[in-house]
Amino acid sequence: MAHYAVMAIGADRPGILAAVTGALYGAGANLEDVSSTILRGHFASMLVVEAPEGLAREGLEAALREAVASLDVSVMVREAEAAGPPSQATHTLVAYAPDRPGIVARLSGLLAGKGVNVTDVSCRMVSEDRPVYTLVAELDVPAGVDPDALGADLRALGGELGVDLTFGPVEVETL
Amino acid sequence: MAVRPVVRYPDSVLKRPAARAGRVDDALRRLARDLVDTMRAGPATVGLAAPQVGEGVRAFCLDVSGHPRAGASHGLVVLFDPEVVESGDQEVLREGCLSVPDLTANVHRAGWIVLQGLAPDGGRSVYRMEGFEARAAQHEVDHLDGLLILDRIRSAADLFPRKTYR
Repeated sequence: MAHYAVMAIGADRPGILAAVTGALYGAGANLEDVSSTILRGHFASMLVVEAPEGLAREGLEAALREAVASLDVSVMVREAEAAGPPSQATHTLVAYAPDRPGIVARLSGLLAGKGVNVTDVSCRMVSEDRPVYTLVAELDVPAGVDPDALGADLRALGGELGVDLTFGPVEVETL
Repeated sequence: MAVRPVVRYPDSVLKRPAARAGRVDDALRRLARDLVDTMRAGPATVGLAAPQVGEGVRAFCLDVSGHPRAGASHGLVVLFDPEVVESGDQEVLREGCLSVPDLTANVHRAGWIVLQGLAPDGGRSVYRMEGFEARAAQHEVDHLDGLLILDRIRSAADLFPRKTYR
């Protein structure tokens, strides 16, 4: 079965998700994972769908464009590999600082350099008068990376950037 | 000793309120032994409720002793018709469940409870539990009410996928 990744973004208003998923349902596509949120007034949706035999990428994209034509939403469809298991988050990183360029780039650059996968991340700029930047990320720290050393490196970089930062393991208790 | 398969959602027994035990007979005592055997044999878990082995009856076992999160605890607890009669203090912890193995969720629960029910010998037992033991007991009582960790989610940020147990 073919899989497609669908991205839709537009100025937030009610009905965008209904239009997108309605068109996908009408095309016979089955939703798998979906993540949507509002980013400073823009509704952004990402969906991975399983497509029925014979549904071409171009045809699906055209159907979606038609469905959202009246909503001023941009849509893109790309082919996606069949979904693997979700990446396992082992640690959480929270960082915040007065807003300035480069916080995310520097922190994620350090993580990428060590082979640490970011499995989920959400950043927000809050307080317009004295802007504060916040980052909350879930990380998959591979077995070969010492979490204590990684935490020390992150704190050192945080000190250099003037970022307040906490890093620790995801704790799950099976009951 | 009988280790039973642990049932998973969407098995309907997990979503039905379980029936009261009423009085504890030999069949229920056998069920309790199976619950303890299954709990001890499975992957790291500290409690098991009867619906999780396919039995819609109000019974559970738990044992948090030896768990790194546990403070003082009562060791092995087996209870029929348990009821939380007092509770207080809210805490949040990310919980997993053998019956919903692919998800974890941040769950708010009382930090302490008073729990009463019937012991395997048929007598009335009352426990005051705190912290991790109180949390585990509330998770098991939820199973007896047909509630899963998914029913305890309060915000979109409270649900997480996971690959498997470790």
